[in-house]
Amino acid sequence: MRNFLTITLSLWGFIAVSQNKQILYGFDAVPQSLMLNPGSEVTHKKHYGIPFLSQIHVNGGSTGVSVFDIFKEGNDNINDRITQQIFEMKNTDFFTATQQLELINFGWRAKNEIYFSGGIYQEFDFISYFPRDLAILAWEGNRDYMDYEFDLGELSTTGDFMTVYHFGINKQITDKLTVGARLKLYSSMFSYRSVNNSGTFVTTLGDEDSANIYEHTIKNADVSVETSGYASLRELDGASQVTSKILGRAFFGGNLGVGVDVGFTYRLSEAWTLSASAQDVGAIFHSKDVESYSAKGNYTLNGINLIFPPLNQGDSTFPYYDDLEDEIEREIPIDTLHNSYTQFRPVKLNAALSFGFGRFNASGDCDCLNMDGGTQHKQEVGLQFYSIFRPKGPQMAGTFFYHRRVTDYLSAKATYTVDSYSFSNVGLGVSADIGKVNFYIAADNLIKYNNLAKAKSVSLQLGFNIIIDEE
Amino acid sequence: MNKTLSLSIFALFLSVFLISCIKDTDFDQAENIALTPIVELDLIYFNIQANQFFDSINSNPILTVRDTTEIRFLDDTGLQESLKRAEFYFKFTNSIPRSFQVDFQFLSETNDTTYVAGTSVAEGAPATPVITEFIENVEGESIVEITKANKVVVSVTIPSSDENLEGTLNLKSKTTYFLEY
Repeated sequence: MRNFLTITLSLWGFIAVSQNKQILYGFDAVPQSLMLNPGSEVTHKKHYGIPFLSQIHVNGGSTGVSVFDIFKEGNDNINDRITQQIFEMKNTDFFTATQQLELINFGWRAKNEIYFSGGIYQEFDFISYFPRDLAILAWEGNRDYMDYEFDLGELSTTGDFMTVYHFGINKQITDKLTVGARLKLYSSMFSYRSVNNSGTFVTTLGDEDSANIYEHTIKNADVSVETSGYASLRELDGASQVTSKILGRAFFGGNLGVGVDVGFTYRLSEAWTLSASAQDVGAIFHSKDVESYSAKGNYTLNGINLIFPPLNQGDSTFPYYDDLEDEIEREIPIDTLHNSYTQFRPVKLNAALSFGFGRFNASGDCDCLNMDGGTQHKQEVGLQFYSIFRPKGPQMAGTFFYHRRVTDYLSAKATYTVDSYSFSNVGLGVSADIGKVNFYIAADNLIKYNNLAKAKSVSLQLGFNIIIDEE
Repeated sequence: MNKTLSLSIFALFLSVFLISCIKDTDFDQAENIALTPIVELDLIYFNIQANQFFDSINSNPILTVRDTTEIRFLDDTGLQESLKRAEFYFKFTNSIPRSFQVDFQFLSETNDTTYVAGTSVAEGAPATPVITEFIENVEGESIVEITKANKVVVSVTIPSSDENLEGTLNLKSKTTYFLEY
């Protein structure tokens, strides 16, 4: 238990942020910006991601607490700090972790001026809301909480591990408008979710007429966990077997799903540009290796009622304990179901309004990068909006950005983001072309990099591509 | 802008990552993390009628009645490791005009006695029940013994009885478990 806690606490704030890639969005020097908006303007002719290195993305966050809050040096007791944090946090606080790894990414401009792109990436996504009441119950017990109704519905968590195959098209339709769409096939390797739970647990002091000292009551319980890809793992022995089984599902071996990304970029005027995209509008259909557990009902526990039956030598009394267990199982049955279920992907929305100034010419006077008449600006400032749909409603973020094309081989983007985690998130991304090799790195919460422990979220993307520009 | 300048910007950026660190934290404190919940839970309850102490068929008094129940959660490995103290609270309400000796004998799976506790219960009257409270605090070495038990035998002994005896002996009980994970 202690080890589990240590690991959990250590991971808070380290693994991943809420999938917001605010730096990469609209950062057109990086081919992966096309993954965030399939309708972004593409300036190059071809790109190939270097396999397994084209995008490494990790992102972790916690809205209520940072590692520093728990592990800071000091004379006060760590347990007092945890107690304080548990009580300060709300049941809408959450922990998230996201990780993505691109296996393949490629794109090319066809003769009809459509830019095709496709690839495969693997994604892990986890979110858990803070089950405050259950944390209090585990941390303090029920002694000081007589008559307090612990809310079982605060339990809300999902986790997914999948491979995504995608293919997209992008075309500049008019001088002003570029649109794009991307079709995605999901192959889910492992998935679980426990959402929309309800019910309460309360301990009340009984009165004269009560059967026993207390009444422990579970009221209107409706708690469920849906899993897919889990049941078959239980039988396996050891981590290596589990790993090979899961990876075996990566290539269409898992539960399949389908989704789309759509987006556009529209030049409102010479200086102003509007863009928006929706990602992962789709669902995964879990039908193979599905196992769900559901517990529903009401029960009041009074303890064990001894009858003192008259017994002859050798007779045994009633199986009180077994009867009690049977009674609980009868009142709050735990059903194991194998029903297929559909899981909607968390839809992500991005939008940006930018103002550009300073005409950017990569080499001399000719506007070589933009044969079709569009203009790239040397500098852009603007606002971005990001939203992801989560079990308890959307999580949103607003970003102010400054994007600068320094030279034809170097561009940079700086962001200031306000989100659920903090009001002081400054990020920076750099994309450099060394020959045909493009390297980019983007990270946020830079202010906290002098002490990562204080950061409530960390997001990092980096990768290598080969980019072939228009001749 | 020349190449040197842009490379230096790039180098600066990389250095941000290189100097990033975790400061003023002490992860050894994780060793000291301890969950210390205090759990209140009902234990057993009963109502023994006075006539249960007399065999009306054979006209014989029954001086001791016994019953046994499993309490399988008690010798669970998880509880064995984390239970630091257990405080048993028994509340007798006696309306039988006799005093009682009540004994609790904790037995392991192999029926070895691991812990015993007992109390006398004050004499009552049908019209004026008398309450006797009894607290048994178990900690230290005794915790190791009691968590080897998975059943408890309750024996209720009456000094004398006859067919006209009236009243009820009621027990309510609970345990406070002081845990540490």
